[in-house]
Amino acid sequence: MIQTNKLKKSFKSYKKKPGFLGSIQSLYKRDYITKDAVADFDLDIPEGQIVGLLGPNGAGKTTLMKMFTGIIVPTSGEINILGHRPSDREKSFRKKIALVMGQKSQLWWDIPAMDSFLLLQKYYEISKDDFDEKIEHMSELLGVKELLHIHVRKLSLGERMKMELMASLIHSPEIIFLDEPTIGLDLVAQENIRNFIKDYHRKNNCTIILTSHYMADVQELCSKIVLILNGKKAYDGDIQDFEKLLGHEKRVSFSFKNPISNDDKYFEQYTPEWAEGRMQVELLIPEEQLRSVSSKVITNYEVEDFNTEVLPIEKVMKTLILNPEILSADK
Amino acid sequence: MNNLKHYLNVYGNFVSTSFSTAMSFRFNFILLIFMDIFFYFSSLATVSFIFDHVSAIGPWNKEQLMFFISFMLCVDHLHMTLISESFWVLSRDIKTGAMDFIILKPIHSIFSCFFRHIRTSSFCNTFVVWGCLIYYGREIELDTLSWVLLPFLVLLSFTLLALLEFIISTSMFWMTEGMGINFLRMQFQNLSRWPNFIYSSMSRRFFTMVIPVLLIGSAPVHFIIDHSKWHYLIYLVIAIVLSYIVLMYIWNRALNQYESASS
Amino acid sequence: MLTSNANISKWVQTIKISWSQLTAYRVNFFLQVIGPSLVFFFIKYNLWSSIYSSQSGLIIQGYNFSQMIHYHAWSLVVSLIAGGYASHNLAEDIRMGRISSYLIYPFNFWEFHTASFISFQLLQTFISMITIAFIFSIGIFHNLSFMALIYGYLFCFLVSLMWFTLQYMTGILAFWLEETWILRVILQIMAAFLSGAILPLELYPSWLVKVLDFTPFPYLSYYPIKVFSGEISPFSGAPLIIIFWIVTFALINRFIWSRGMKLYTAAGM
Repeated sequence: MIQTNKLKKSFKSYKKKPGFLGSIQSLYKRDYITKDAVADFDLDIPEGQIVGLLGPNGAGKTTLMKMFTGIIVPTSGEINILGHRPSDREKSFRKKIALVMGQKSQLWWDIPAMDSFLLLQKYYEISKDDFDEKIEHMSELLGVKELLHIHVRKLSLGERMKMELMASLIHSPEIIFLDEPTIGLDLVAQENIRNFIKDYHRKNNCTIILTSHYMADVQELCSKIVLILNGKKAYDGDIQDFEKLLGHEKRVSFSFKNPISNDDKYFEQYTPEWAEGRMQVELLIPEEQLRSVSSKVITNYEVEDFNTEVLPIEKVMKTLILNPEILSADK
Repeated sequence: MNNLKHYLNVYGNFVSTSFSTAMSFRFNFILLIFMDIFFYFSSLATVSFIFDHVSAIGPWNKEQLMFFISFMLCVDHLHMTLISESFWVLSRDIKTGAMDFIILKPIHSIFSCFFRHIRTSSFCNTFVVWGCLIYYGREIELDTLSWVLLPFLVLLSFTLLALLEFIISTSMFWMTEGMGINFLRMQFQNLSRWPNFIYSSMSRRFFTMVIPVLLIGSAPVHFIIDHSKWHYLIYLVIAIVLSYIVLMYIWNRALNQYESASS
Repeated sequence: MLTSNANISKWVQTIKISWSQLTAYRVNFFLQVIGPSLVFFFIKYNLWSSIYSSQSGLIIQGYNFSQMIHYHAWSLVVSLIAGGYASHNLAEDIRMGRISSYLIYPFNFWEFHTASFISFQLLQTFISMITIAFIFSIGIFHNLSFMALIYGYLFCFLVSLMWFTLQYMTGILAFWLEETWILRVILQIMAAFLSGAILPLELYPSWLVKVLDFTPFPYLSYYPIKVFSGEISPFSGAPLIIIFWIVTFALINRFIWSRGMKLYTAAGM
């Protein structure tokens, strides 16, 4: 489906010294630096899944997406997507893929979204019936039927993002690349977009590659995760395994009515982190003991509130971005 | 054939979206018409003022040169209407990374880069420029053959101008900042606005053989004024074919090293 | 005293930043600033030599060939220093709504753009000097007088201020217009044609020249060229007329700006 082999992309840029003299100097002399945005990248993604491409800013996610879609050409290495080499930019390949970028708009700013869709219909040679049905169906699902004939510049960011999604899906692509589709959106809008993607994936059985900095997106949508750090692949596997990368413990926090006495040593075995003058504690409990320990705490102490972390992968991500050596030590 | 229909379909849509965009800025629409007319007027008046004091420039008298200027105005007019907007958009698209989406679409990227934006207001000036051309054509008493060929020759000249400008603009992919290239492009266009015989032999040869901007207007008008100079038409066609080959080659090179603005 | 010092350093810093923006893309900079003038001169040199070659000793309205080239060479220099500035950044600031940040900065919109104009002007002065040296070296200027150069530059600075106020006007119309470049191009076409930059005004019909004298256009090219070549004294009425135009444009700009700001703050664009 998607395979890469020793993929590499390097960019060249130059340094400019600040100030007046620096500008003059850079007119005739420039120091160029070459930086590998992606290096030694091997990947194999099967059909029909939603895969999350994760990593901090500048890790090389977008560069990868752009190589997958044929926008930029790799410095070396190979990519095979649906039997095509993206950099050949064959028409048949371009008809099978779609790219949505949260930070860039493909819609024409000064005309209603519908006009842009009509143009896309011509581009992709979609029959009128298919087109009408697709628009009807998606605008219903996204709840944007009334907005189709409004100038795009008048839409809110969330509404525009829905239009961007529609624009990319009109031609029923087999692979959809979503580069931060929920960036800058409010919580409800994020959820709408997520639900739509989930629904669309279930009905159309396409492959989706997603990048996002919101772990809620990843948790909700992705079955597989590929983590990129500094242009290199750091993790590639199921999302459940990813959550357990740092150990098989669950994080649970309790709030108590009264402070717990310093003499009480019960919590020590679970590496407690105390807060609020020992009225709150966060424990690291082995997965298999989760039920027994929790019920014990609840029955033996005056617990006001307790919760387990909502997004376990967020913690994993944070730890890995700050200490990338964990992964290399592991292997 | 099917392919042609596909492209025509898309082009029809380009025209209609350009028109609806233009209509939402009506004041601009009117200003653009005036802008073009100012330009046409100043080009014609400049030559006319010179001829108040001299009787000929090179081998041509006033009417012949005015015919040449009108011919170039018709070429410019096609240029302004059909492609002029695209060059500025291209520079912006490369800088902002909107080029990404153009590359993704299943249609030739040269087509969607350079024919996407049509300046619909310029349609209104069609009568002005063709009126001038016909007026001066009657002044120099064109024969039937010339009248018949005239529209095709304008089209051929426009084709060469467009190809040369596409080639120049392709360098924006390497430069990132396209303003300078656009100015360069307009300078070449300026060179072509005067007949080739005003240039000294060295520069004339360079701008005929290496960067054939001087063939754009001079070649067909020399033929129209003196049919024994039919070899000029062959030069024109050769220049078009070669420019096309060069364009295809460097466009592919450009796309292969396109870096796409990071988001 | 302290505040005025702080103010000066703001200006200096802004001028520096604009300078590095102007020179950020080197080839681009060259093509944009020097290219058009050189090509224009190239065309004119060829055109006039082909006109004058038809008849030896031809004199057109008092210009022989070498005087005609002389005129156009100065026209090239003047185009660099008197009227090169374009206000598209200014219009873009308004169009993109970046104007709000000027309302927060302790540095006004007009101060910022005037500072960038000064920076542009410094750069152009530098380029024009190289151009003069170049044209001198190929033997077109035979008698450069130091005083004429000084007068010419001073005169051009005054003219450039007039051009700046005019450009500023087209820029701030962006409060109402979607695209202001069209106005700027119209202004440019008119200025090129009516200022004597394309042809010496002596070649124009005399009724037209009489009309033009009541407009700012001849002061953009024709008069500065004559000052540089020493044919007109800068101590004539011309500077006063230019100052009159500058003040007029500045007042109109102030009016447009205050109307625009009302619109801006009311609509919260």
